[in-house]
Amino acid sequence: MLFRRRKRFDDLTEEIRLHIEERAEQLMREGMRPTEAREAAHRAFGNPALLEESSREVWQWPALESVVADVRLALRQMRRSPGFALTALFTLALGIAANVIVFGVLQALVLRPVELPQADRVMTLGRTDQPYPFFSYPVVRDIRDDSKVFSAVAPYLISNFGVEANGVTRAVWGCEMGGQYFEVAGIKPFLGRLLQRADDDHPGASQAAVLAWPAWKSDFGADPNIVGKTIRINKHPYTIVGVTPEGFYGTEKFIQPSLFVPIANEESLEGTNFLESRNDPEVYSVVRLKEDVTVAQAQAELNTIAARIHRQHPEDAEKESFQLVRPGLMGDFLGSPARAFLAGVMGLAGIVLLAACANLGSLFAARTADRAREIAIRMAIGSSRSRIVRQVLVEALVIAILAGACACFLAWIAITGLANWRPPTEYPMSFHILPQPSLILMTLAISILAGVVFGAMPLRQIFKTDPNEAMKSGNAPALMLGRRRRWALRDLLLAAQIALCCVTVTAAIVSLRGLSKALSMDMGFNPKHAVLTRFELNEAGYAGESAEQFQRRVLEKVSQLPGVVAAAYASSTPLSLNAPTLDVFSQQANNLKSPNRAFAAYEYGVSPGYFAAAETTLLAGRDVSFHDTGKSPLVAVVNREFARRLFHSDAAVGRYFKNESGQPVQVVGLVADGKYLTLTEDPEPAAFVPILQNPTTGTSLIVRQRQDSSIAATSELAGAVRKAIRDLDSAVPVRESTGWSSQLGLAFFASQVATVALGLFGAFGLLLSVTGTFGLASYTVGKRLRELSIRVALGAQAEQIIAAALGRMLIVLASGAVVGMLLGVATSRVLSAIVYHASAQDPLVLGAVVLTMVLTGSLSVAGPVRRALRIDPAVLLREQ
Amino acid sequence: MLVATQPMKETAPRDLFPGALEMMILESLRRQPAHGYALVQHIQQRSRNLLQVEEGSLYPALQRLLKGKLVKADWGVSSNNRRVRTYQITASGLGHLEQQISSFERMFEGIALVLTPSKSSAT
Repeated sequence: MLFRRRKRFDDLTEEIRLHIEERAEQLMREGMRPTEAREAAHRAFGNPALLEESSREVWQWPALESVVADVRLALRQMRRSPGFALTALFTLALGIAANVIVFGVLQALVLRPVELPQADRVMTLGRTDQPYPFFSYPVVRDIRDDSKVFSAVAPYLISNFGVEANGVTRAVWGCEMGGQYFEVAGIKPFLGRLLQRADDDHPGASQAAVLAWPAWKSDFGADPNIVGKTIRINKHPYTIVGVTPEGFYGTEKFIQPSLFVPIANEESLEGTNFLESRNDPEVYSVVRLKEDVTVAQAQAELNTIAARIHRQHPEDAEKESFQLVRPGLMGDFLGSPARAFLAGVMGLAGIVLLAACANLGSLFAARTADRAREIAIRMAIGSSRSRIVRQVLVEALVIAILAGACACFLAWIAITGLANWRPPTEYPMSFHILPQPSLILMTLAISILAGVVFGAMPLRQIFKTDPNEAMKSGNAPALMLGRRRRWALRDLLLAAQIALCCVTVTAAIVSLRGLSKALSMDMGFNPKHAVLTRFELNEAGYAGESAEQFQRRVLEKVSQLPGVVAAAYASSTPLSLNAPTLDVFSQQANNLKSPNRAFAAYEYGVSPGYFAAAETTLLAGRDVSFHDTGKSPLVAVVNREFARRLFHSDAAVGRYFKNESGQPVQVVGLVADGKYLTLTEDPEPAAFVPILQNPTTGTSLIVRQRQDSSIAATSELAGAVRKAIRDLDSAVPVRESTGWSSQLGLAFFASQVATVALGLFGAFGLLLSVTGTFGLASYTVGKRLRELSIRVALGAQAEQIIAAALGRMLIVLASGAVVGMLLGVATSRVLSAIVYHASAQDPLVLGAVVLTMVLTGSLSVAGPVRRALRIDPAVLLREQ
Repeated sequence: MLVATQPMKETAPRDLFPGALEMMILESLRRQPAHGYALVQHIQQRSRNLLQVEEGSLYPALQRLLKGKLVKADWGVSSNNRRVRTYQITASGLGHLEQQISSFERMFEGIALVLTPSKSSAT
């Protein structure tokens, strides 16, 4: 069919040609001279190009055909200037990819519900009085037994176990869950069976465990006969009865356990019994609403139950109030920071895309100015302006969609990489971000939008083109010669682009600075040059007395390692996820219910020498000692905030307070304040009690080296400590043994992620400004080569050449950069919420930004400047 | 553009109604097959130069007729040894022409009736 059409069009062309010839011959026979005859024949015929076009259109679907023709033209144009095409594609693809990736993360983490059957029926219990969604086990049990709106209610907690399988002991994260947990989840097992209510009936009812699919695959080699195998969890034998299906990652987006066991067995596993205690908020809870129950109804019933619990147990913790929250983000504890952060990052991605569009727009406008003559000719032979506009838009869209395809590919890679990335923490976090088809749609939408935005830039130019003028002056560069051109759109676009890039660069540098400050701020202890080793003794069967002895033996052994200046152990350390609190009552208090407490303080059980090992300054009094045992009077070392809050002065040593059990505790020492839960918290009170008065099997061992030891030496020491523990008892699974600084990963997690993201955007921004500036500078110099060579021939000096060629552009760059920096300072206020101590008024930051912009600016104009300076007037002027 | 002019008068040229050119081409071809140039000559002569056809405007119309299979075209050699593409009316072209002519005549009669002063005065 296409050949027929070709032939048809060829026939037509020939026909027309013959017609005009015949007319000309006729006129010649009538006496006209040949040239005149031909002219007359042409005039009589009319506009052959237009007529041919109209004739052809008879056979086409005109609209579609001309769009296809436009696309082909666009592709040809791109092939002709590959440099422009590649630059355009690259910058736009980066901008689009950034947006798509951020949207993908937003979608996976915040927008989409957890992957469960009928996920809209599944909710998490949260609390309105505090952000952490922890409850005491009996409360959840009450809700489970009393409520009528839930088809299933399950408490659960995530904990670390020592799991021995096939002779190898490993530290594994598991989930202790109520019997109805899998009913809430609503899933079916992949192998064997899942745990049921009967398994959780009472402590010891069942020794069944369920394996999670990812763990089955990686740790157990996808063994098809896994059902029925025995493993030992914290030295207790369990039988694996089933495997969860692939794609089930628990009910939290950030924490994926490998193993599921009944929570009724928690005492044997944890070493403490909280099943009956109403004062220990230890568990999370998920629920599944019944079929036709609305959230409002469920909430109402929860409120009723809360009131009843409080009536029945008035001596317990203050009145709890519940709310139903979408599951996945730890009952919204992680929800609002995650949302805020992602919103900020989306904003930045949008800025980057805008900058890319401005970049492309200015290049596009420059190219269109180049083609002024071609456009004028097309208009002269009859093309309507709208036709030309359409062609320009199609060209822009072609570039945009190709860039979108590249961006899709880039985003796919990035998202898959992100899904496989393990955050710097021992907690079983991973981000399950699957590339979704909706992302492709998103990419398409963004590409089209971007294409329209930058394709529209040259339009004003086209509409204003007067074909006559354009053909007369054509592409000859206008000689400036003192006449000041008005600021063209492309100048504004370049300024806008530089400003936007400046913002991203400023944001990146601010957050880098904030992070580096955060790492060296006063946290109340010094994580540098120290090794933190954590292990849980009851996983190896130790408890009470035997645990204490083992701890002391470990302490003795590591104190003798070479290079060690101090060592100690504690129940937990500041800035770890484990931050137990203690209700503090004044000495005179008699009513020891929670609401009457003076405040809640962070509580750490520490061995003697802790303050030296952690480099926490002891301001007054004494350290704890091994003589402070369970039988001697209770003592504690407190920090200044504690003293200020309770005694309203620093003179706390020797005074008393009462603990939760009403026992008097004497303050024997005062230490400096520090950070205990997050980096951005206000000063909080903390109490350090002797380890023998608050014994624990979960041990954090701190071993400190000399001040001048290198990072490598710290790693070596970490290995040595691990070995020392293994030598004492190889059954003790060491959870982690590395430099303390690296384990603070989680506390810095948010700022680190922010810094990486901002750094990436800053890099994008720089890249874009380099390509934009370079492109425009080359274009400017290239266009004005003739004029510049005349100047050189007339004797202009180097500075004058540069001023003439690029003076205008440098003004644009400078003003764009200034605007950008001001904007960047403004946005850094937003950043300070996430990046500790982020402030853009830091002179170091401003200096760094200026330096960066100047450097990249110089780099990008270097090439064109050299070209301008190397002009040989003789060669150039001859060419024209 | 196809215009019908009044010679020696300054009135603006009036465009032909759509389909008029096709109709005239078909009629010309009914009398005798011809190529593009000859058709133009024919129309101008027959209309005694009342119709001034821009020569090229024939071709889109010819293509439309070709597409509708109302004419067919073949390359050949003309009487004065020129290579020409000759158009011939087809059967369906003939039928279409009859239809168009009768519809045109009805329209023309209607306009004429409106424009002429009423001749049929009562007796």
